[in-house]
Amino acid sequence: MTARIRAFGERALLVELGEAFDEALVARARALADAWEALRHGPAVPAYASTLLCFDPERLAPDAAERLVPGLLARAAAAPSRESALVEIPTRYDGPDLADVAARSGLSVDELVAAHSGRDYTAYFLGFLPGFAYCGRLDPRIVAPRLERPRERVPAGAVAVADGQTAVYPLASPGGWRLIGRTDLVLFDPAADPPARIGAGDRVRFVPR
Amino acid sequence: MIHLDEVSLRATVQDGGRGAHLRAGVPHAGAADPLAFRAAQALAGNAPGDAALEIIGLPFAFHCDDARLVAVTGREVSLRARDELPGWVSVFVRAGQTVTVLGTERTRFAYLAVSGGLATPPLLGSRSAYPAAGLGAVLRAGGALPLGAPRAEASAAGRTVAFTYGGTVAAMAGPHADRFGAEALAAFFGSPFRVLPDSDRQGVRLAGPSVAPREGEILTCGVVAGAVQVPRGGQPIVLLADHQTTGGYPVIATVVEADLGRVAQAAPGEELLFERVGREEALRRGAAARALLPAYQYP
Repeated sequence: MTARIRAFGERALLVELGEAFDEALVARARALADAWEALRHGPAVPAYASTLLCFDPERLAPDAAERLVPGLLARAAAAPSRESALVEIPTRYDGPDLADVAARSGLSVDELVAAHSGRDYTAYFLGFLPGFAYCGRLDPRIVAPRLERPRERVPAGAVAVADGQTAVYPLASPGGWRLIGRTDLVLFDPAADPPARIGAGDRVRFVPR
Repeated sequence: MIHLDEVSLRATVQDGGRGAHLRAGVPHAGAADPLAFRAAQALAGNAPGDAALEIIGLPFAFHCDDARLVAVTGREVSLRARDELPGWVSVFVRAGQTVTVLGTERTRFAYLAVSGGLATPPLLGSRSAYPAAGLGAVLRAGGALPLGAPRAEASAAGRTVAFTYGGTVAAMAGPHADRFGAEALAAFFGSPFRVLPDSDRQGVRLAGPSVAPREGEILTCGVVAGAVQVPRGGQPIVLLADHQTTGGYPVIATVVEADLGRVAQAAPGEELLFERVGREEALRRGAAARALLPAYQYP
């Protein structure tokens, strides 16, 4: 589909690049966010198939912002993908949902651990919590729908899976993903630059401990 | 320094917010009622990006080491120094003079700006507190915060901003209006919604007629303060300053910035009525709200 530009209030635009999950769209959403932020009108938030572009209407009229988008999309399509870092997450596979996820998936616990740690993931984008990176794709054998009733408290460092994706909870929080392990790696440090250990576009590897 | 003599519930430092790290999942934060915040800053002679206190739960009492121009804004706020004074007025307070900020049972957020601004160390480019991620802290009684050099003098006292919290809440439809049926949109823009008690700086939860989307969830996307998310159950949530950077529920409408304070300051049990406006009208209302503020000027 061609990109659709929607007003998100009078201070932002939501540029929708597609309607379904697709790794190429994730990369395009990120490139559009980079191109927007390079103009210094305001921040951008890329996600699966869309990019939120924020601006101050006292400085940039919304219709002028809309007119910038086609050029940015062309630039984003042409932009070389940035060098991505590899982030290794030392993981103890002892989460409370480990056995359940293995059973749902028709795997032994050892097979589940091998499947989860046996491939590199792409960090699609960050959201939900500071430093929370949505990573995928999971081995399709791993069956892990979101919990029907989210936990009130997931501890910081919990390694989780849900719906074809995996992530680490950087902070203690309510959460609906299934917990298969934990890490001591600090995923969000407000004193660090950048504060998030995993950046969008990075490769992520879970290393069993 | 400013000294916090009495804190009834929660006080935090807030400024223009932490927009630069949204892509790391860091919430924007900043004032829940942006217009009241900007009014307090303008009355105290500060820039919109300076830091002030956001206070939940009154009374709140403070004193400063030196004489300062201060301003208190928010819904139904007043202050007591030597005399009782209304809110939304710039006041010159003497060194060491204790000032108490007062509210009513309807006050949710009060803003205290002090000339020179709060000079706490910025973290990730902002002084706004988001304690859940280790960014700033909830302030305690007995604490003290550094202040910048004063920028306004006694002669700037007595300026006022005339602002009222009544009236409808202007909102633009969308961005996901097409996920909702005509009936849901008509109900959203035509029915009163009651504010629920479990509302906070992340969002204001509303109860009213169901405005459920035709399809449940969307692909998670970036969201802004003012977004009216509708979970499957059909009861809307208006996002405020501490909202998550992304969301997976369809957004039926987005409250214009000028009216965000009306939502933030609504007390549990009160009703809000949303009025559909287009972008030009949203911009016009934003300009009209800013025109209420005294022109910001450095000395």
